[in-house]
Amino acid sequence: MFAYYTRLALHSFGRNPGLTALMVLAIALGIAVSVMTLTVYHGMSGNPIWWKSDRLYSVTMDGWDPQNPYRADLHLPPPELTYRDARHLFDSNIPERKVLMYSSNGVLSAAGRAAPVPVNTRFTTADFFAMFEVPFLYGSSWSAGADSPPQPVIVLSREENDKLFGGANSVGRTVRWNDHEFRIVGVLNEWYPLPRYYDLNGGNFSPPDAAYLPFNWGIELEALNNEETDCWGSDPVNTYKDFINSECVFLQMWVELPTRAARTRMQDFMDGYWAEQHKAGRFQRPRDNRLTDVSQWLIDSRVVDNDNRLLVGLGFAFLAVCLINTVGLLLAKFLNGAAVTGVRRALGASRRQIFAQHLIEVGALSAVGGVLGLALAAVGLAAVHHLYASAHLGNRGGYQEITHFDFTGVMWAVGLAVVATLAAGLYPAWRVGRLPPAIYLKSQ
Amino acid sequence: MSLNVRPIMSALLRNRTGAVLVAMQVALALAVMVNAIYIVMQRVDKIGRATGIDVDNVLIVQSSGFTANYHHVATIQEDLAYLRSVDGVVAASAMRGIPLSDGGDNNPLVTRPDAQRTDNYNSWEVDEETLHALGVQLVAGRNFRHDEIQPPLTKQDASRFVPQIIVSRALAEHLFPHENPLGKRVYDSLNQTATIIGVVDPLMGSFPGMLHPDWVYMMPRAPADFLGLNYTVRTRPGTRDTVARLIEGHLAQSNPNRVIDSVRSLTYYKDLSYLADHTMAIYLVTVTALVLGVTSLGIFALATFNVSTRTKQIGTRRAVGARRRDIVRYFLVENALITSGGVVAGCALALAVGYWLSVQYALPRLNLYYLVGGVLSLWGIGQLAAWQPARRAAAVPPSVATRTV
Repeated sequence: MFAYYTRLALHSFGRNPGLTALMVLAIALGIAVSVMTLTVYHGMSGNPIWWKSDRLYSVTMDGWDPQNPYRADLHLPPPELTYRDARHLFDSNIPERKVLMYSSNGVLSAAGRAAPVPVNTRFTTADFFAMFEVPFLYGSSWSAGADSPPQPVIVLSREENDKLFGGANSVGRTVRWNDHEFRIVGVLNEWYPLPRYYDLNGGNFSPPDAAYLPFNWGIELEALNNEETDCWGSDPVNTYKDFINSECVFLQMWVELPTRAARTRMQDFMDGYWAEQHKAGRFQRPRDNRLTDVSQWLIDSRVVDNDNRLLVGLGFAFLAVCLINTVGLLLAKFLNGAAVTGVRRALGASRRQIFAQHLIEVGALSAVGGVLGLALAAVGLAAVHHLYASAHLGNRGGYQEITHFDFTGVMWAVGLAVVATLAAGLYPAWRVGRLPPAIYLKSQ
Repeated sequence: MSLNVRPIMSALLRNRTGAVLVAMQVALALAVMVNAIYIVMQRVDKIGRATGIDVDNVLIVQSSGFTANYHHVATIQEDLAYLRSVDGVVAASAMRGIPLSDGGDNNPLVTRPDAQRTDNYNSWEVDEETLHALGVQLVAGRNFRHDEIQPPLTKQDASRFVPQIIVSRALAEHLFPHENPLGKRVYDSLNQTATIIGVVDPLMGSFPGMLHPDWVYMMPRAPADFLGLNYTVRTRPGTRDTVARLIEGHLAQSNPNRVIDSVRSLTYYKDLSYLADHTMAIYLVTVTALVLGVTSLGIFALATFNVSTRTKQIGTRRAVGARRRDIVRYFLVENALITSGGVVAGCALALAVGYWLSVQYALPRLNLYYLVGGVLSLWGIGQLAAWQPARRAAAVPPSVATRTV
């Protein structure tokens, strides 16, 4: 029966090729547009470390200006910490792992190699690599002992290692970072978490850094933060020491807390520190000490922007237009063939069989429309990708990183195509079965 | 001339489904179109705002010293002398602050020493050639003189202020409403004071995305080595990219104690800052065009279907005296009725969506002119789409009435 109905469907398509093409096109366009917006949305709202998202917490405290909130529209503490607060919190032994970091500009050069290269450098602590599960191609992280006092060790990204050493295993060699020699202890493998949840200050989809040095080097070499630094108050900041002791926030801190008990203890520790400082005259705003897990952090940081939500809505509105269109066209087409259906009914086909036959016709249409829609979505995404990539002059970073077609996108397309067109086909297929056969047997 | 609305209406009501489906499409299309175009126009306005800068002809060169042998002040002098000697360069300036780049410094300024510091304004460090290098117009007061350019900040006096500043007119009006800002004093966060000596207009600062991108002030000071230095180079029209290649080649070799991070056109920074708005506009226009296309195909298909199922009736009407133009009119009026139904529902939907967007995303409330434009264009599209089927209907010969199938 299925084969027969399929043959009937193909025959029916052949009868009105124009109308059939129109329906396929409408379905395909609707699916293409909604799949495109969903793919980008999915890319934006992704949680790149979902498997341990509820163990990793960003640490923030509101030590901002008592007169003015950090940002009036957000009701959140500043996303970064001051050096003195971070230093104190970092001394806690409650977390299983803890990371303190910021990023800075630097210049890498290797003896006898190509010209020096400017690199974005992250000053961080040893746990960074294990905590965020950063993959290594060669070597490994430095040991916790190398954090303090800081040892002259460095980890390079794979890209930087390719540039400086042609991709060879460079572990054990030395490079110069600005004016100082560092021994390479590890080279990262390809790693590009999207969004860059552990530090969103330099852009949500920016590439990870090119070089990693122990945190204390940053302070010792008086390296300045090259992302967001925010200050308040009227104490002069003339020297680096002034800066370190100021109320300027510029450090990101993350802790890994495996249990709820550990989380509670950490929160108590922060609250205790807050109370002590509050008594001493700092932290004069309402108490707002936060441990924020990764998924909440991404929401608080507004990684998914309003434009994107709007586009998803638009995508579905467009899909709706296309489907209503398809319902109308299917209805017209089925009713047009009512005479044939009348004959079949008169020869004994039940309403259910007529319904099934037409539904199979709809199914065939939706399959073709779905495939075409997928292809169109791929073309559309490539176009958007090109738009972003050309604005970035071919450099990585930004939305271009999430305009790739992924498995989820394909599944969405297939699912949408099936659900949508079947939904669109139900009514016309049902309607045509309800037609009284008799009048169609008469001449018009 | 009667349009015979009543019989058309009754025929429509007898066969509702197709008409209702088309009207629904028209309603959705109107809601999508009106709101999308409204958002697009806001983005186009935003991208097209005056910058006051000769954006197309400006290059930005970023340079960083990185060795102990690096001499910052000497390097700046040497680089500027070289840049000004290059054929095609109109002016070159050493700055901290890249216009339209979405990155940079914001600092508070107040008009009385005891005032609350609530707002931050975009600040640039500039020299006496900056205005010329950007092509910015001085509208009051004077430019900085060479001898007024302060030495760069060091890690011993990083809080030092400057004696004079130049401000954008927008900032001047914000700080001193309805007053002549020239000669007025402003105070920084440490109550160090500076006098306003010049006003420029228009000028957009480093942050096009901020609420007040034109609140900018300039300090006459060489940029510090530890904070970052950029040269702003204005070129003769048509020579920008040639000059970029030339100076990049020279500067990368001229001093082993620094690297040239980048040599980029100002359009690069501008385009990147507006990329999201630009893409959004393209996307919205494309989807709107598709919505209209699909809707008009739907109208066309329904009209065609109606014509083909009514061939016999059309023949009968022709046989009893209806002219071709009566038949055409019948189908056009029918289409207008359907579209009107859709448009009425669409207006309500468009306003509801517009209201929801204004609440949810803090967009300005929908401008009603857009709604009127949308209604008119959908009526037009409906009539155009129904035109060809109506003509086909008119071509049905009266003799059809006498045939049986």
